[in-house]
Amino acid sequence: MRDRGSILVPAVLLVLWHLAFLLAGFLAPYDPAEQQRELPYIAPSHLQFRGPKGFHLRPYACGASTVVDGPAPCYPVHFFVHGCTYSFAGMPWSVHLFGVPSPGRIAILGTDAYGRDVWSRLLFGGRISLAAGLLATLVSLVLAMLIGTISGFYGKWTDELLMGGAELFLVVPWLYFLLVLRAMLPLHLTGAATFLLVVGVIGSLGWARPMRLVRGVVLSARERNYVLAARGFGASDTYLLRRHIAPMTAGVLLTQAALLVPQFVAAEAALSFFGLGVSEPVPSWGNMLAVLQQYSVLVSYWWMLAPAIALVITSVMYGWLAEALQRSLKSSSI
Amino acid sequence: MTHASDLVRVKDLSVSYSAAGQSVPAVKHATFSIGAGEVLGVLGESGSGKSTLALSLARMLPAKARYESGAITFRGRDLLQMSEKQLGAVRGAEIAIIWQDPALALNPVMRVGQQIAEVLRAHGSRDRHERVERVQGVLTEVGFQHPSEVASAYPHQLSGGQRQRVGIAQALCCRPSLVIADEPTSKLDSALQVEILALLAKLRALHNMAYLIISHDPAVFAGWADRMLVMYAGEIVEEGSREQVFGHPLHPYSQGLVRLSGAPAGTPRQLLPVITGEPPDLTRLPRGCAFEPRCPERMKVCAASPPASSTPEANRQVSCFKYE
Repeated sequence: MRDRGSILVPAVLLVLWHLAFLLAGFLAPYDPAEQQRELPYIAPSHLQFRGPKGFHLRPYACGASTVVDGPAPCYPVHFFVHGCTYSFAGMPWSVHLFGVPSPGRIAILGTDAYGRDVWSRLLFGGRISLAAGLLATLVSLVLAMLIGTISGFYGKWTDELLMGGAELFLVVPWLYFLLVLRAMLPLHLTGAATFLLVVGVIGSLGWARPMRLVRGVVLSARERNYVLAARGFGASDTYLLRRHIAPMTAGVLLTQAALLVPQFVAAEAALSFFGLGVSEPVPSWGNMLAVLQQYSVLVSYWWMLAPAIALVITSVMYGWLAEALQRSLKSSSI
Repeated sequence: MTHASDLVRVKDLSVSYSAAGQSVPAVKHATFSIGAGEVLGVLGESGSGKSTLALSLARMLPAKARYESGAITFRGRDLLQMSEKQLGAVRGAEIAIIWQDPALALNPVMRVGQQIAEVLRAHGSRDRHERVERVQGVLTEVGFQHPSEVASAYPHQLSGGQRQRVGIAQALCCRPSLVIADEPTSKLDSALQVEILALLAKLRALHNMAYLIISHDPAVFAGWADRMLVMYAGEIVEEGSREQVFGHPLHPYSQGLVRLSGAPAGTPRQLLPVITGEPPDLTRLPRGCAFEPRCPERMKVCAASPPASSTPEANRQVSCFKYE
C-alpha cells in the first residue's frame, strides 16, 4: 500500500460521517417520531445573529414556533441542552448538542407532513440505512469469501457448480427480485424483523460479484510456490487457506466492501421507498423519500430531498475510498 | 538392486501429464531404491523427467499429472495408496523438500522464523516456547550466527543464499529421513553453490538422512553423491555409483554429459564438446531407443525397438543395445 495518504482522507471522512449517525441522539434536538401536527412542512429555520437588542453572538433560530399568532418569532439557540431522552451505549441520555427554549422549535431542515423534525429524522434514518448497508455488505462478503474460497481452492466440479450458481445470481434483476420476494412475505412485521429481512435479502443477493473475484485470487494463490512449499511440509488444506490464501483476498474484499456499502444503502432506500422495507414510524432514508412520490411535495418542499442528498454524499465518499483502495492495490501488485 | 535397509523403493513407476487432450509420458518404468542415509543423484537435461520423478516421491505432482503404474514404498508403506491426510503427516516430517527457488518458496509477508515454526506445528509441536527454541536451533545448524535476528526477518531482508539456508532449515527442522532437493543451487551463484552443497553434506553426516538430489549439472554431485541415475526422455538410462558413472560412463548419453563437464574452464565456445541434436519431443518419441536420433554410436537395432535394461557390472545398470 504505497499511497496510504490517498486512502486516509476518504477513510477519515467516512468514519466521521458514520460517527455523526451513531451520535444521532446527541446531534438531533428532537425525537424523530415526535409529531407537531400544527407545524406541517415548515421551511428550515434560518439563523441570525440579531436578538431583540440588536447584534448578538448567540445565534437565533427563526421561523418555527408552536405559538400560532403573530410574525415568526426568533429564539436563542442554546448548546448542550436537556431535551427528550434517547439511549446510547445502553444508557438513557437527555443532553443534546443544541436546542431552543419552548415554545420555540428549531428545524434546521424543516419539518415533514406531521411536523416531525427532518434533521432529527435524517440522523436516525441514516443510522438505520447505513446499518442496513453495512450489515448486508458483511453478509455478502462472508458468503463471497466462503463460496469463492471453496470454489477457487477445490476447483473441478465444485467450482463449475458454484460459478454457475453465481452467474445465475448475477443475471437476476435483483431490484425486481427483491420487490417480488418482499411482496410475498407478510406486509406487517415489526421494525426489527423488517430490518433483518431487508438486510438478509439484500446481503444474500449481492455475493456473486465479490465471490468471483475472491475465487480468482484464491485460484492464483493456490499455485504460488510458497503455498506448494507449505503443502510439501505437511500443511493441511485448512492451514493453507487460513495462513497463506485467505490473507491474500483481503485487498479484494476491502475494495468490494467500499463498492457494496453504498449500493446496499441505496437498495434499502429503494425498498423502503416502495414501502416494502423499513416501515413507519421508524425513519429510514428510503421511507423519508417515499413522500416525494406526491408531486406537490416534490415541487413545494425542497428540504424533503435531504435524504437523497445524504445518499449521494455516502455514495461519493465510498466511491472515493474504493478508487483509492483499488489504486493502492494495483501499485502494491498483490 | 534392493536391500533390506532400503528407505524408498520405486518399482516400475510411470507418470504422465495430460496436455491439450493428449497424454505425455514424463517418467517411464522407473525402478530404483534409496538406502537409509544414502545420497542418490539424478542427472539429466531439462524435460528428462527428473523433477517429475522427485516430486512424485512426495506425491507433490500437479493436478494434471497421473500415476500410470508402479509403486513407491517408503518404509514399507505404499505412498501411492495414501490419503491426502496421511501424506500430510509424512511430508515435512519424514520426507522433506528443499525447493529450487528460495525467493518463491517463502511467503513474502510472513517472518521466516514463523514459517519454520509452522512446519514444526504441522507435525505436532504444541508448545510455542519449544517451537521458538527449535527454530533457533535449526537456524544455528544451517549456519546462521544470529538465529533470533534471522527468525524475525522477512524473506526480502535476506540474501539469496540466506533464503536457501532458511529453506533448508524448514526442510530439516523435523529431522526427515529423506530429503528431496530439486536443483537446490541452480538459483545461486557458484561460490554460494559450493557453500550450500557443503552444508547439505555436513547435515547429512550429522543426522544420517538420505538425499535425492536432482540437477542438470554434474558438478553438484562431485564428492558426495553415493549413487547416480542418469535420465533421458523420462527413462533411467544408466544407474551406478558416482565413481562408475562419472569415471567410466557406459551409455552414450552419459558419456556425452561427462565429456561436456570435463571440458577445462576457458575452452573457447566453438571447441566445447556438444551432444548434437535436440532434446526429444515427448509427444512424439521414436519407436526404438529415445536417444537413437542423437546417438553417435547408433546401430540398426536401436531404431527398431527400445533397449532393455542390462547389468554389465555388479551394482550397475544401463539401457543400451551396446551392452545387451
